Amino acid sequence: MDVLVQIIASGLTLGAMYAISTIGLALVYGSLNMLNMAHGALLALGGYVCLYAMTVLGFPAVAGVAMAMAVCGIAGLLIYHLAARPMLASRNFETQIFIATIGIGAVLENVILRVFGPQPVAQPLKVDGAVIIGSVYVPNQNILILGVAVLLMAVVAFVLNRTRMGRAIRATAQNRDAAQLMGIRIGKVYAQVLMISGALAAVSGIMISSLSGLLPNMGGDPMLKAFVICVVAGLGNVYGAVAAAIVLGLLESLIQYVFGVQYSFAILLMLVIAVLIWRPAGLFGRTQVVRM
Amino acid sequence: MSPAKRDVLVCIGLAIVLALVPLVIGTRYIITQMTLFFIWAIVVTQWNLVLGVAGIFSLAQMALFAVGAYATAMLAYYFAIPVIVAMPAAALITVAASLVIGAACLRLRGPYVALLTLAIAQVIYLVVVNDTACFTNPPSGCLPLFGGVRGFSRFGDLGFRALLGSKFYVAHYYVGLSLAVLAVMFSIAIIRGPLGLAFKALRDNPGYAMSRGISKFKYQLWVFGLSAFFTGLAGAFYAAQFGVVGPIVFSIAMLLFLLSMIVVGGMGTIWGPLLGAALLMLADEGMREVGDWRDIGLGLVLAVFVILLPKGLAGVRLRRAKAGL
Repeated sequence: MDVLVQIIASGLTLGAMYAISTIGLALVYGSLNMLNMAHGALLALGGYVCLYAMTVLGFPAVAGVAMAMAVCGIAGLLIYHLAARPMLASRNFETQIFIATIGIGAVLENVILRVFGPQPVAQPLKVDGAVIIGSVYVPNQNILILGVAVLLMAVVAFVLNRTRMGRAIRATAQNRDAAQLMGIRIGKVYAQVLMISGALAAVSGIMISSLSGLLPNMGGDPMLKAFVICVVAGLGNVYGAVAAAIVLGLLESLIQYVFGVQYSFAILLMLVIAVLIWRPAGLFGRTQVVRM
Repeated sequence: MSPAKRDVLVCIGLAIVLALVPLVIGTRYIITQMTLFFIWAIVVTQWNLVLGVAGIFSLAQMALFAVGAYATAMLAYYFAIPVIVAMPAAALITVAASLVIGAACLRLRGPYVALLTLAIAQVIYLVVVNDTACFTNPPSGCLPLFGGVRGFSRFGDLGFRALLGSKFYVAHYYVGLSLAVLAVMFSIAIIRGPLGLAFKALRDNPGYAMSRGISKFKYQLWVFGLSAFFTGLAGAFYAAQFGVVGPIVFSIAMLLFLLSMIVVGGMGTIWGPLLGAALLMLADEGMREVGDWRDIGLGLVLAVFVILLPKGLAGVRLRRAKAGL
């Protein structure tokens, strides 16, 4: 019983962290067909900006998070204007932007490495204490992460469903040409989506680093996991991504308990490969009928 | 002269010039670096076939290279098979691995293929690195089945050291050169041959091509499997040349380096990737002075080329040739 509570508690925390960074990726893919390989670097950037704001500038935690979100949002905007926009019309956009963002991610990661050094640092934003359920020790940090994640998901859902901007984003994702004909400035939508994605990446990066510490290349694994979640859900499907993130988080903590931490990612990836062979468009993805 | 004939003649001409190089230059460092260039040349010409010709957005090419290198090292280390025999065996193992990966990935669409192949490469890397249980206990210490973080060393070489003494690296140069020539010839045969034509048809008018019975999946699997042979062979030769195989062959930095060669040179062309490989290796040599900035430079080169010159340097030349007509 206690083991079950432990697995669920850590699984939900993992799932919540993954969900936040996955939403951003799913939004970007949904509207631009763009896989942002610089996302991992944005996670690290968010974590380090928060660290910088809190330790060097002496900001309170909330201001630190806000600053990280702002910086990563601007970084997302820059990625749109400098990389995505010039090649939007290109026939191989998906391939080209993938390669370009690999390059941008490498640059960003190495700049962080130059500025902050290669040694791991602890994230200052951390709450102490724990809640005891039965005889299981659940750190307050995990509860905070879960709470913030749920709050952010609610905000994103509200923005997508109830605001003008959200409607424009959904319309663009459904049918780019029709949206444009209806007078939606899709360029603006793209820029907004990449900014939101960047800001969410910052929060996700802060969460991840508060549990495992800051390293310049800390974003790589979470990004790959976020992509895996997107793929399992069906690329571009935001709600499916949240569901898949939580399921995979729970699954990961179960695998960690049964087989040990070092195999969790490998087993997870093999499961995903199996899912994709069985359903090539993802669990919640619609099979696209392509007409010639 | 037909384009295929011209390309073959260029390839032979280049091979003759390169074969004369060791007679003029005696510096061991330069000869070894050029041998490394041949290895990268093989990898990028084959990856280019997958990426630029068949349109499979696969990032598993370095994992296949690693399979070739590891298979050679493991066959030689565990079964004491001579490296020269282990190399072709490793290439065949690589083909088998590529067919499994291809069967899983090739039914998917572009970005899914990229993500899945990246995930597969990562799984192989994690299995190699995270395995800490000792498989054997040689005098140098515990060795996991796949070599763990340390990798394999002392699994023998091609035998030129015993034959030629300190000049063995010149023999390696010629082995690398002949493998690279074979790989380039193969790439010419694919691009100028029926397979290249099939992919051109599929790209220009997929509906018509398919209705004429051109199966995308079948041809993609062919290119994927065939190019894996030379990629695996390059990995095997890498193992033989350096005598060490470690998890560094899986690193993102290496993937980035080779991908940049293809992008800078020009995806889908015969000579572009080779040009890119030569230029980036020279640039890398130049950046050795500023060591720490190397990865930033590479990332910038990759991003700037994709954004401003998506067809690479070969594309510039083609455009100019067209304007001249």
